Amino acid sequence: MIHFENVNKHYGDFHVLQNINLNIKKGEVVVIIGPSGSGKSTLLRCINRLETISTGSLKINDVEVNSKKTDINKLRKNIGMVFQHFYLYPHKTVLENIMLAPVKVLGKSKEEAKKTALYYLEKVGIPDKANSYPSQLSGGQQQRVAIARGLAMSPEIMLFDEPTSALDPEMIGEVLDVMKNLAREGMTMVVVTHEMGFAREVADRVIFIDKGQILEDANPNEFFTAPKEERAKLFLSRIFNH
Amino acid sequence: MLDFTILSENMDMFMEGFKTTLFVSFLALISSFVLGTILAIFRIAPIKPLNWIGGIYVEFIRNIPILIILFFIFTGLPVLGIRLSGFTAGTIALTVYTAAFIAEAIRAGIMAVPKGQTEAARSSGLNYVQTMWYVILPQAIKIVIPPLGNQFINLVKNSSILTIVAAGELMYQGDLISSRTFVTFDVYIFVAIFYLIITIPLSLGVNYLEKHLAKSN
Repeated sequence: MIHFENVNKHYGDFHVLQNINLNIKKGEVVVIIGPSGSGKSTLLRCINRLETISTGSLKINDVEVNSKKTDINKLRKNIGMVFQHFYLYPHKTVLENIMLAPVKVLGKSKEEAKKTALYYLEKVGIPDKANSYPSQLSGGQQQRVAIARGLAMSPEIMLFDEPTSALDPEMIGEVLDVMKNLAREGMTMVVVTHEMGFAREVADRVIFIDKGQILEDANPNEFFTAPKEERAKLFLSRIFNH
Repeated sequence: MLDFTILSENMDMFMEGFKTTLFVSFLALISSFVLGTILAIFRIAPIKPLNWIGGIYVEFIRNIPILIILFFIFTGLPVLGIRLSGFTAGTIALTVYTAAFIAEAIRAGIMAVPKGQTEAARSSGLNYVQTMWYVILPQAIKIVIPPLGNQFINLVKNSSILTIVAAGELMYQGDLISSRTFVTFDVYIFVAIFYLIITIPLSLGVNYLEKHLAKSN
Protein backbone atom coordinates (compact mmCIF):
# COMPACT_ATOMS: atom_id res chain seq x y z
CA MET A 1 0.00 0.00 0.00
CA ILE A 2 2.85 2.39 0.91
CA HIS A 3 5.91 1.70 -1.12
CA PHE A 4 9.31 3.42 -0.68
CA GLU A 5 11.94 2.51 -3.23
CA ASN A 6 15.46 3.91 -2.92
CA VAL A 7 14.13 7.14 -1.47
CA ASN A 8 16.64 9.85 -0.69
CA LYS A 9 16.09 13.28 0.72
CA HIS A 10 18.55 16.11 1.10
CA TYR A 11 18.25 19.39 2.96
CA GLY A 12 21.09 21.21 1.25
CA ASP A 13 24.17 19.19 2.23
CA PHE A 14 22.33 17.24 4.88
CA HIS A 15 21.32 13.76 3.75
CA VAL A 16 18.16 13.27 5.85
CA LEU A 17 16.90 10.06 4.30
CA GLN A 18 19.30 7.58 2.74
CA ASN A 19 18.18 4.84 0.40
CA ILE A 20 14.92 4.09 2.12
CA ASN A 21 13.24 0.89 1.02
CA LEU A 22 10.05 0.12 2.84
CA ASN A 23 6.80 -1.62 2.07
CA ILE A 24 3.77 -1.22 4.24
CA LYS A 25 0.81 -3.47 3.59
CA LYS A 26 -2.86 -2.76 4.12
CA GLY A 27 -3.84 -3.19 7.75
CA GLU A 28 -0.28 -3.15 9.05
CA VAL A 29 0.72 -1.14 12.09
CA VAL A 30 4.26 0.06 11.65
CA VAL A 31 6.07 1.87 14.43
CA ILE A 32 9.09 3.97 13.55
CA ILE A 33 11.54 4.60 16.34
CA GLY A 34 14.98 6.13 16.51
CA PRO A 35 17.00 8.88 18.17
CA SER A 36 15.95 12.47 17.66
CA GLY A 37 17.13 13.97 14.39
CA SER A 38 17.33 10.52 12.81
CA GLY A 39 14.80 11.38 10.12
CA LYS A 40 11.81 9.43 11.40
CA SER A 41 9.38 12.34 11.28
CA THR A 42 10.70 13.34 7.87
CA LEU A 43 10.10 9.81 6.63
CA LEU A 44 6.52 9.96 7.89
CA ARG A 45 5.89 13.41 6.44
CA CYS A 46 7.04 12.28 3.00
CA ILE A 47 4.09 9.90 2.85
CA ASN A 48 1.55 12.74 2.47
CA ARG A 49 4.05 15.09 0.83
CA LEU A 50 4.39 17.53 3.69
CA GLU A 51 8.01 16.89 2.71
CA THR A 52 9.12 16.16 -0.82
CA ILE A 53 11.68 13.50 -1.66
CA SER A 54 14.85 14.23 -3.64
CA THR A 55 15.26 10.94 -5.52
CA GLY A 56 13.67 7.53 -5.68
CA SER A 57 10.06 6.49 -5.80
CA LEU A 58 7.33 6.71 -3.20
CA LYS A 59 3.98 5.23 -4.15
CA ILE A 60 0.69 4.94 -2.35
CA ASN A 61 -1.70 2.46 -3.93
CA ASP A 62 0.49 2.68 -7.05
CA VAL A 63 0.17 6.46 -7.24
CA GLU A 64 3.50 8.29 -7.34
CA VAL A 65 3.30 10.81 -4.46
CA ASN A 66 5.80 13.29 -5.90
CA SER A 67 4.64 13.18 -9.49
CA LYS A 68 3.41 16.48 -10.90
CA LYS A 69 0.40 14.66 -12.34
CA THR A 70 -0.74 13.47 -8.93
CA ASP A 71 -3.64 15.38 -7.44
CA ILE A 72 -2.15 15.79 -4.00
CA ASN A 73 -5.42 16.86 -2.37
CA LYS A 74 -7.11 13.72 -3.62
CA LEU A 75 -4.27 11.63 -2.26
CA ARG A 76 -4.26 13.41 1.09
CA LYS A 77 -7.94 12.92 1.80
CA ASN A 78 -7.17 9.23 1.98
CA ILE A 79 -4.39 9.74 4.55
CA GLY A 80 -5.20 11.06 8.02
CA MET A 81 -2.49 12.72 10.03
CA VAL A 82 -2.09 13.36 13.73
CA PHE A 83 0.59 15.76 14.94
CA GLN A 84 2.61 16.08 18.11
CA HIS A 85 1.05 19.45 18.91
CA PHE A 86 -2.48 18.49 17.77
CA TYR A 87 -2.97 21.59 15.61
CA LEU A 88 -6.68 21.79 16.17
CA TYR A 89 -8.18 24.94 14.67
CA PRO A 90 -8.50 27.23 17.72
CA HIS A 91 -11.29 29.38 16.24
CA LYS A 92 -13.57 26.41 15.61
CA THR A 93 -15.46 24.18 18.02
CA VAL A 94 -14.57 20.52 18.31
CA LEU A 95 -17.46 19.64 16.02
CA GLU A 96 -16.46 22.26 13.43
CA ASN A 97 -12.87 21.03 13.55
CA ILE A 98 -14.00 17.54 12.62
CA MET A 99 -16.59 18.65 10.05
CA LEU A 100 -14.45 21.07 8.03
CA ALA A 101 -12.67 18.67 5.69
CA PRO A 102 -15.59 16.25 5.16
CA VAL A 103 -17.80 19.20 4.12
CA LYS A 104 -15.26 21.12 2.05
CA VAL A 105 -13.24 18.27 0.58
CA LEU A 106 -15.66 15.35 0.37
CA GLY A 107 -18.66 17.58 -0.28
CA LYS A 108 -20.74 16.00 2.49
CA SER A 109 -23.83 17.81 3.72
CA LYS A 110 -23.57 19.53 7.11
CA GLU A 111 -26.02 17.09 8.73
CA GLU A 112 -24.17 14.10 7.40
CA ALA A 113 -20.80 15.47 8.46
CA LYS A 114 -22.16 16.24 11.90
CA LYS A 115 -23.44 12.71 12.29
CA THR A 116 -20.05 11.31 11.31
CA ALA A 117 -18.27 13.74 13.62
CA LEU A 118 -20.43 12.74 16.58
CA TYR A 119 -19.85 9.09 15.79
CA TYR A 120 -16.09 9.50 15.92
CA LEU A 121 -16.23 11.71 19.00
CA GLU A 122 -18.12 8.90 20.70
CA LYS A 123 -15.44 6.54 19.52
CA VAL A 124 -12.59 8.56 21.01
CA GLY A 125 -14.61 8.90 24.20
CA ILE A 126 -15.48 12.61 24.40
CA PRO A 127 -18.94 13.11 22.85
CA ASP A 128 -19.75 15.67 25.55
CA LYS A 129 -17.07 18.05 24.25
CA ALA A 130 -18.63 18.53 20.81
CA ASN A 131 -19.38 22.20 21.31
CA SER A 132 -16.26 23.14 23.28
CA TYR A 133 -13.36 25.06 21.85
CA PRO A 134 -9.96 23.35 21.75
CA SER A 135 -8.57 25.70 24.41
CA GLN A 136 -11.15 24.33 26.85
CA LEU A 137 -9.83 20.77 26.51
CA SER A 138 -6.90 18.99 28.10
CA GLY A 139 -4.00 17.91 25.90
CA GLY A 140 -5.19 14.32 25.85
CA GLN A 141 -8.68 15.37 24.84
CA GLN A 142 -7.31 17.64 22.12
CA GLN A 143 -5.27 14.82 20.68
CA ARG A 144 -8.29 12.53 20.70
CA VAL A 145 -10.25 15.18 18.80
CA ALA A 146 -7.36 15.38 16.33
CA ILE A 147 -7.62 11.63 15.82
CA ALA A 148 -11.39 11.89 15.31
CA ARG A 149 -10.76 14.70 12.83
CA GLY A 150 -8.47 12.42 10.85
CA LEU A 151 -10.87 9.48 10.99
CA ALA A 152 -13.87 11.53 9.86
CA MET A 153 -12.40 11.53 6.34
CA SER A 154 -12.57 7.70 6.36
CA PRO A 155 -8.94 7.42 5.31
CA GLU A 156 -7.24 4.16 4.47
CA ILE A 157 -4.04 5.23 6.18
CA MET A 158 -3.42 7.09 9.44
CA LEU A 159 -0.08 8.74 10.18
CA PHE A 160 0.91 9.61 13.73
CA ASP A 161 3.84 11.95 14.35
CA GLU A 162 4.82 11.55 18.02
CA PRO A 163 1.18 11.81 19.11
CA THR A 164 1.91 11.52 22.83
CA SER A 165 5.17 13.47 23.12
CA ALA A 166 3.52 16.74 24.10
CA LEU A 167 1.17 15.19 26.66
CA ASP A 168 1.30 14.98 30.43
CA PRO A 169 2.14 11.41 31.46
CA GLU A 170 -1.37 10.94 32.86
CA MET A 171 -2.95 11.60 29.48
CA ILE A 172 -0.76 9.40 27.34
CA GLY A 173 -2.80 6.31 28.17
CA GLU A 174 -6.11 7.66 26.91
CA VAL A 175 -4.60 8.55 23.52
CA LEU A 176 -2.77 5.24 23.20
CA ASP A 177 -5.99 3.38 24.00
CA VAL A 178 -7.73 5.09 21.08
CA MET A 179 -4.83 4.17 18.83
CA LYS A 180 -4.85 0.57 20.02
CA ASN A 181 -8.55 0.24 19.20
CA LEU A 182 -7.91 1.67 15.80
CA ALA A 183 -5.13 -0.83 15.18
CA ARG A 184 -7.39 -3.68 16.23
CA GLU A 185 -9.99 -2.58 13.72
CA GLY A 186 -7.48 -3.04 10.95
CA MET A 187 -6.45 0.55 10.16
CA THR A 188 -3.18 0.89 8.31
CA MET A 189 -1.06 2.95 10.68
CA VAL A 190 2.41 4.44 10.57
CA VAL A 191 3.41 5.73 13.97
CA VAL A 192 6.48 7.68 15.01
CA THR A 193 6.69 7.36 18.78
CA HIS A 194 8.86 6.89 21.83
CA GLU A 195 6.23 4.73 23.49
CA MET A 196 7.98 1.38 23.52
CA GLY A 197 5.11 -0.30 25.34
CA PHE A 198 2.79 0.66 22.49
CA ALA A 199 5.29 -0.56 19.91
CA ARG A 200 5.69 -3.89 21.66
CA GLU A 201 1.99 -4.44 22.16
CA VAL A 202 0.43 -3.13 18.98
CA ALA A 203 3.00 -2.95 16.20
CA ASP A 204 3.23 -5.54 13.48
CA ARG A 205 6.66 -4.21 12.63
CA VAL A 206 9.18 -1.94 14.23
CA ILE A 207 11.43 0.16 12.04
CA PHE A 208 14.57 1.48 13.69
CA ILE A 209 16.08 4.43 11.92
CA ASP A 210 19.30 6.31 12.60
CA LYS A 211 21.06 9.02 10.59
CA GLY A 212 18.50 8.67 7.84
CA GLN A 213 18.96 4.94 7.36
CA ILE A 214 16.69 2.06 8.23
CA LEU A 215 18.84 -0.14 10.44
CA GLU A 216 16.24 -2.62 11.57
CA ASP A 217 12.92 -3.76 10.20
CA ALA A 218 11.64 -6.51 12.45
CA ASN A 219 8.66 -7.71 14.38
CA PRO A 220 8.53 -6.13 17.85
CA ASN A 221 9.36 -9.31 19.72
CA GLU A 222 12.50 -9.83 17.74
CA PHE A 223 13.45 -6.19 17.92
CA PHE A 224 13.03 -5.72 21.65
CA THR A 225 14.54 -9.03 22.74
CA ALA A 226 17.31 -9.46 20.20
CA PRO A 227 18.13 -6.35 18.18
CA LYS A 228 20.70 -7.09 15.51
CA GLU A 229 22.34 -3.70 15.15
CA GLU A 230 24.74 -2.25 17.74
CA ARG A 231 23.11 1.16 17.38
CA ALA A 232 19.67 -0.28 18.13
CA LYS A 233 21.02 -2.13 21.18
CA LEU A 234 22.54 1.07 22.50
CA PHE A 235 19.31 3.00 21.85
CA LEU A 236 17.20 0.41 23.67
CA SER A 237 19.57 0.18 26.61
CA ARG A 238 19.43 3.95 27.03
CA ILE A 239 15.66 3.96 26.91
CA PHE A 240 15.10 1.09 29.29
CA ASN A 241 17.88 1.76 31.82
CA HIS A 242 17.12 5.13 33.21
CA MET B 1 -12.59 81.03 25.14
CA LEU B 2 -13.74 79.20 22.02
CA ASP B 3 -16.00 81.17 19.75
CA PHE B 4 -19.00 78.90 19.28
CA THR B 5 -20.70 81.29 16.90
CA ILE B 6 -18.08 80.27 14.34
CA LEU B 7 -19.39 76.75 14.70
CA SER B 8 -23.08 77.57 14.63
CA GLU B 9 -22.86 80.07 11.80
CA ASN B 10 -20.91 77.64 9.60
CA MET B 11 -22.55 74.45 10.71
CA ASP B 12 -23.69 73.53 7.21
CA MET B 13 -20.08 73.68 5.92
CA PHE B 14 -18.71 71.76 8.88
CA MET B 15 -21.37 69.12 8.40
CA GLU B 16 -20.72 68.96 4.68
CA GLY B 17 -17.01 68.41 5.38
CA PHE B 18 -17.72 65.93 8.15
CA LYS B 19 -19.96 63.85 5.90
CA THR B 20 -17.45 63.92 3.06
CA THR B 21 -14.58 62.89 5.32
CA LEU B 22 -16.70 60.10 6.74
CA PHE B 23 -17.67 58.93 3.26
CA VAL B 24 -14.13 59.10 1.83
CA SER B 25 -12.78 57.27 4.88
CA PHE B 26 -15.44 54.60 4.65
CA LEU B 27 -14.86 53.97 0.94
CA ALA B 28 -11.08 53.97 1.31
CA LEU B 29 -11.27 51.75 4.40
CA ILE B 30 -13.25 49.05 2.62
CA SER B 31 -11.26 49.17 -0.60
CA SER B 32 -7.85 49.38 1.06
CA PHE B 33 -8.76 46.43 3.25
CA VAL B 34 -9.71 44.36 0.20
CA LEU B 35 -6.68 45.48 -1.82
CA GLY B 36 -4.37 45.05 1.19
CA THR B 37 -5.64 41.50 1.81
CA ILE B 38 -5.08 40.59 -1.84
CA LEU B 39 -1.57 42.07 -1.75
CA ALA B 40 -0.76 40.21 1.47
CA ILE B 41 -1.83 36.93 -0.14
CA PHE B 42 0.25 37.81 -3.21
CA ARG B 43 3.27 38.24 -0.97
CA ILE B 44 2.98 34.85 0.67
CA ALA B 45 1.41 32.76 -2.09
CA PRO B 46 3.63 29.93 -3.36
CA ILE B 47 3.85 31.64 -6.77
CA LYS B 48 7.00 33.70 -7.38
CA PRO B 49 5.64 36.31 -9.82
CA LEU B 50 2.83 37.15 -7.37
CA ASN B 51 5.40 37.54 -4.58
CA TRP B 52 7.28 40.01 -6.74
CA ILE B 53 4.20 42.04 -7.62
CA GLY B 54 3.17 42.21 -3.97
CA GLY B 55 6.68 43.04 -2.81
CA ILE B 56 7.25 45.77 -5.38
CA TYR B 57 3.88 47.36 -4.66
CA VAL B 58 4.40 47.47 -0.91
CA GLU B 59 8.00 48.67 -0.99
CA PHE B 60 7.27 51.29 -3.62
CA ILE B 61 4.07 52.73 -2.22
CA ARG B 62 4.85 52.76 1.48
CA ASN B 63 8.16 54.50 0.89
CA ILE B 64 6.82 57.52 -0.95
CA PRO B 65 4.72 60.34 0.50
CA ILE B 66 0.97 60.04 0.05
CA LEU B 67 1.00 63.57 -1.37
CA ILE B 68 2.98 62.40 -4.38
CA ILE B 69 0.52 59.58 -4.99
CA LEU B 70 -2.33 62.06 -4.81
CA PHE B 71 -0.65 64.48 -7.24
CA PHE B 72 0.18 61.64 -9.56
CA ILE B 73 -3.46 60.58 -9.73
CA PHE B 74 -4.98 64.05 -9.78
CA THR B 75 -2.56 65.94 -12.00
CA GLY B 76 -0.53 63.14 -13.60
CA LEU B 77 -3.25 60.90 -14.96
CA PRO B 78 -4.99 63.69 -16.96
CA VAL B 79 -1.87 63.66 -19.16
CA LEU B 80 -2.96 60.16 -20.15
CA GLY B 81 -6.51 61.40 -20.68
CA ILE B 82 -7.85 60.16 -17.35
CA ARG B 83 -9.51 63.04 -15.56
CA LEU B 84 -10.83 62.42 -12.05
CA SER B 85 -12.59 64.66 -9.56
CA GLY B 86 -10.76 65.65 -6.39
CA PHE B 87 -13.03 63.35 -4.43
CA THR B 88 -12.39 60.31 -6.63
CA ALA B 89 -8.66 60.95 -7.00
CA GLY B 90 -8.37 61.45 -3.25
CA THR B 91 -10.24 58.26 -2.41
CA ILE B 92 -8.06 56.28 -4.81
CA ALA B 93 -4.85 57.82 -3.43
CA LEU B 94 -5.87 56.99 0.12
CA THR B 95 -6.76 53.44 -0.90
CA VAL B 96 -3.54 52.85 -2.81
CA TYR B 97 -1.42 54.25 0.01
CA THR B 98 -3.17 52.60 2.96
CA ALA B 99 -3.35 49.22 1.20
CA ALA B 100 0.44 48.93 1.33
CA PHE B 101 0.44 49.24 5.12
CA ILE B 102 -2.56 46.98 5.52
CA ALA B 103 -0.89 44.36 3.34
CA GLU B 104 2.13 44.37 5.65
CA ALA B 105 -0.03 44.10 8.76
CA ILE B 106 -2.03 41.21 7.33
CA ARG B 107 1.06 39.45 6.04
CA ALA B 108 2.60 39.64 9.50
CA GLY B 109 -0.66 38.26 10.94
CA ILE B 110 -0.71 35.34 8.53
CA MET B 111 2.94 34.57 9.25
CA ALA B 112 2.15 34.56 12.97
CA VAL B 113 -0.32 31.67 12.60
CA PRO B 114 1.63 28.49 13.44
CA LYS B 115 2.80 26.55 10.40
CA GLY B 116 1.21 23.44 11.85
CA GLN B 117 -2.23 24.93 11.18
CA THR B 118 -1.48 24.95 7.46
CA GLU B 119 -0.04 21.45 7.64
CA ALA B 120 -3.07 20.11 9.48
CA ALA B 121 -5.46 21.69 6.99
CA ARG B 122 -3.49 20.68 3.90
CA SER B 123 -2.98 17.13 5.12
CA SER B 124 -6.76 16.75 5.44
CA GLY B 125 -7.08 17.45 1.72
CA LEU B 126 -8.07 21.13 1.79
CA ASN B 127 -6.44 23.05 -1.04
CA TYR B 128 -4.37 26.21 -0.61
CA VAL B 129 -7.27 28.63 -1.01
CA GLN B 130 -9.57 26.67 1.31
CA THR B 131 -6.80 26.47 3.90
CA MET B 132 -6.30 30.21 3.73
CA TRP B 133 -9.99 31.02 3.85
CA TYR B 134 -11.25 28.61 6.50
CA VAL B 135 -8.20 28.12 8.70
CA ILE B 136 -5.49 30.76 8.39
CA LEU B 137 -7.27 34.08 7.71
CA PRO B 138 -9.80 33.76 10.57
CA GLN B 139 -6.89 33.30 12.96
CA ALA B 140 -4.74 35.96 11.33
CA ILE B 141 -7.48 38.55 11.52
CA LYS B 142 -7.46 38.43 15.31
CA ILE B 143 -3.73 39.03 15.41
CA VAL B 144 -4.07 41.79 12.86
CA ILE B 145 -6.86 43.83 14.45
CA PRO B 146 -4.70 46.16 16.60
CA PRO B 147 -2.28 47.13 13.79
CA LEU B 148 -5.19 47.32 11.37
CA GLY B 149 -6.98 49.71 13.72
CA ASN B 150 -3.92 51.96 13.67
CA GLN B 151 -3.98 51.98 9.89
CA PHE B 152 -7.66 52.88 9.77
CA ILE B 153 -7.14 55.74 12.20
CA ASN B 154 -4.22 56.95 10.08
CA LEU B 155 -6.42 56.70 7.03
CA VAL B 156 -9.04 59.02 8.52
CA LYS B 157 -6.37 61.54 9.47
CA ASN B 158 -4.57 61.22 6.13
CA SER B 159 -7.83 62.06 4.37
CA SER B 160 -7.09 65.67 5.39
CA ILE B 161 -4.58 65.97 2.55
CA LEU B 162 -7.53 65.80 0.18
CA THR B 163 -7.97 69.48 0.92
CA ILE B 164 -5.26 70.05 -1.66
CA VAL B 165 -7.42 68.70 -4.47
CA ALA B 166 -10.55 70.44 -3.14
CA ALA B 167 -12.35 67.22 -2.33
CA GLY B 168 -14.71 69.08 -0.02
CA GLU B 169 -13.83 67.17 3.16
CA LEU B 170 -13.42 68.53 6.68
CA MET B 171 -9.99 70.08 6.33
CA TYR B 172 -11.03 71.78 3.10
CA GLN B 173 -14.15 73.25 4.67
CA GLY B 174 -12.08 74.40 7.63
CA ASP B 175 -9.68 76.17 5.29
CA LEU B 176 -12.58 77.85 3.52
CA ILE B 177 -14.20 79.01 6.74
CA SER B 178 -10.97 80.34 8.23
CA SER B 179 -9.95 82.21 5.10
CA ARG B 180 -13.36 83.78 4.85
CA THR B 181 -13.73 84.74 8.53
CA PHE B 182 -10.05 85.24 9.38
CA VAL B 183 -10.62 83.09 12.45
CA THR B 184 -7.99 80.36 12.44
CA PHE B 185 -7.50 79.06 15.96
CA ASP B 186 -11.14 78.31 16.76
CA VAL B 187 -11.96 76.94 13.34
CA TYR B 188 -9.16 74.39 13.41
CA ILE B 189 -10.06 73.36 16.94
CA PHE B 190 -13.57 72.58 15.74
CA VAL B 191 -12.14 70.74 12.73
CA ALA B 192 -9.98 68.68 15.10
CA ILE B 193 -13.03 67.89 17.23
CA PHE B 194 -14.89 66.63 14.16
CA TYR B 195 -11.95 64.34 13.35
CA LEU B 196 -12.02 63.06 16.92
CA ILE B 197 -15.71 62.28 16.55
CA ILE B 198 -14.69 59.78 13.86
CA THR B 199 -11.40 58.49 15.22
CA ILE B 200 -12.24 57.99 18.89
CA PRO B 201 -15.19 55.65 18.28
CA LEU B 202 -13.02 53.86 15.71
CA SER B 203 -10.31 53.46 18.31
CA LEU B 204 -12.78 52.23 20.93
CA GLY B 205 -14.34 49.87 18.41
CA VAL B 206 -10.97 48.32 17.67
CA ASN B 207 -10.30 47.88 21.38
CA TYR B 208 -13.67 46.23 21.82
CA LEU B 209 -13.12 43.87 18.87
CA GLU B 210 -9.70 42.98 20.19
CA LYS B 211 -11.09 41.99 23.59
CA HIS B 212 -14.17 40.33 22.18
CA LEU B 213 -12.30 38.19 19.67
CA ALA B 214 -9.59 37.29 22.16
CA LYS B 215 -12.31 35.68 24.28
CA SER B 216 -13.13 33.07 21.66
CA ASN B 217 -9.57 31.80 21.83
